Amino acid sequence: MWKYVGNRLLRWIPTVLVVLLVVYALAFFGAGDPIKLIFLRAPGDVAYNAERIEVIREEAGLNRPFLVQFGDYLKHLVQGDFGNSLVSGRDVGSMIKNALPITLQLGLVATFLLAIFGTFLGVVAALHHNKWLDNVISGFALGIWGIPVFVSGPLLMVFLVRYLNVMDVPYGWHGLFNAQVILPLIVLSITPMALIIRQSRSAVLEVMSEDFIRTARSKGIPNIQIVLKHILRPILTPIVSQMGLITINMLNNAVLIETVFGIPGLGQLTVKAISGSDYPVILALVFIGSTVVLTVNLIVDLIFPLLDPRALSKKEVKEA
Amino acid sequence: MKLTKRLHKTENLTLKARLDKEDVPAESLLKDAFRRLVANKGAVVGIIIIAILFFFAIFGPYITPYDFLSQNLELRNQAPSFQHLFGTDDLGRDIFSRVIYGARTAVILSLSITILSFLIGTIVGAIGVYAGGKIDAFIVWLIDLTMSIPSLLLVVVINASLKPPLISWMEKMYLQTKNTIFRETIWVDFILVFGSLALIKWPKAARIIRGQILSIKNKNYVTAARASGVSTFRILLRYIIPNALGPVIVLFSATLGEAMVLESTFSFLGVGVRPPMPSWGNMISDGLRVWHLYPHILIAPASFLAVVTMAFSFLGDGLNDAFNPRQWE
Repeated sequence: MWKYVGNRLLRWIPTVLVVLLVVYALAFFGAGDPIKLIFLRAPGDVAYNAERIEVIREEAGLNRPFLVQFGDYLKHLVQGDFGNSLVSGRDVGSMIKNALPITLQLGLVATFLLAIFGTFLGVVAALHHNKWLDNVISGFALGIWGIPVFVSGPLLMVFLVRYLNVMDVPYGWHGLFNAQVILPLIVLSITPMALIIRQSRSAVLEVMSEDFIRTARSKGIPNIQIVLKHILRPILTPIVSQMGLITINMLNNAVLIETVFGIPGLGQLTVKAISGSDYPVILALVFIGSTVVLTVNLIVDLIFPLLDPRALSKKEVKEA
Repeated sequence: MKLTKRLHKTENLTLKARLDKEDVPAESLLKDAFRRLVANKGAVVGIIIIAILFFFAIFGPYITPYDFLSQNLELRNQAPSFQHLFGTDDLGRDIFSRVIYGARTAVILSLSITILSFLIGTIVGAIGVYAGGKIDAFIVWLIDLTMSIPSLLLVVVINASLKPPLISWMEKMYLQTKNTIFRETIWVDFILVFGSLALIKWPKAARIIRGQILSIKNKNYVTAARASGVSTFRILLRYIIPNALGPVIVLFSATLGEAMVLESTFSFLGVGVRPPMPSWGNMISDGLRVWHLYPHILIAPASFLAVVTMAFSFLGDGLNDAFNPRQWE
């Protein structure tokens, strides 16, 4: 198993290197001079002064060739040093340390919510196959999947706050146990929930046609017991297999949701970094994003055989 | 009597079905799929909504009561009325007209994104299949790579960092050539948005097209046709394209919808189409600033985008069922 994990990590390294190289090249060749950004917040009354700019460039090591600078960046990255922000001059690592827990909490709670409600709705839909309840749930799942969160979020907000008046304006971050977090959580979990509903629905439909369900039925076991004992277990696999896709979806949506609701997490950091051309922050965010996706995919692959031993044997056959 | 009539009818139907099957493959597949598609109510509603969207996009300037730019500072933030169907925004511009022009932006951009990504996808996929070996392995790796990273962030960065140098290059070109083409910086937005979005959309197209070519190329009927001396061009036209068409059409519709959402995402984040050019994304972003006082500014573009994305979802679902009879049961 450790060999498998090591293999995956080795294959991940070139991916991240390529992505970082692309962003670094964009910063180096495309975005204009980072010196001017540093220059703006340089101490003292420095007028626009070519000599002074050259000095700062020399100090920051920004006059060296591209690959040397990129190698230098990687060396620092391996040591856990993301560099300093070009805009605020703060340590990027500490900026991320402040923002990451907020996004992480939102993401984890949203994942929990969507797994529970999504499975429930999917199972209910499958048990009422082709009846009106199934049509409503399937139609909901199909309709909601494409709608971007910056549309569903504001629309829900206008509806709930202005017309129904059931909640205050959700803005900012006041901890996970504050009522203001409810709407962002709903919006964040509702899009990927559609995926879980569809997956669990089709999984249940497949399981229901299996022989052991018919056997259980013919023995007179009540429906609720069949669902709990025989159906819920096999549908875990297709749901777990979607986690990688859901993580990417959530990372992308976090950027939009945190903008809409003013939450100071990774997403807001991203938007600020992009509008300020703050490349050290952008590079760190790209690195963290790819790491999170890799980790989730790795965990999924590792617990997959525990849920469904057939998956492991298939994989072994394939690799042999 | 009734029974025999019905029997007669079924007999006729089977005969007709058989005749359909022996028809030209391209026509029968499409006809078949179309019959299943129009039987799906959701898909029909989706088609109607998308048809209206395209109608708005093409004939927008002739329908809109006002120009999307004309301001009327005496009528700012007006609630919806008969003069202004969706009200006016903070500069007194008619929101209905702006939403219709937004449809134009959305259609132009999503069509060009989809066509470009299919072009790249087809070329890359075909190169992969026919070159084989290391080149194919590299292409598959590239496809996997782009699909396993949070690509939204990456394209936003690409878009944001290429814009300033491109605009300054255009200014330089204008000063040198005095050609007014280089003054129209609005096209830089369009080109950058669809260029960078095609960058994350082509891998999916390449994967599907590559898979299709790979599976059809080695089918017995292609081998038979080749053995009996049919020219490569004719094989492509008669056998490969008609048989690959189903999944490609499904993907085309899905990509069109996704591209529309991505375009508005870009504009919402402020890296896509810039105001005053209306895009649903930047209109939502504008509306979000004053939503508590004037919710109508936000509601109109957001509802349009929501309805259109739903239409694409339902159409995609219908197309998927129509072109995959085996899955359809």
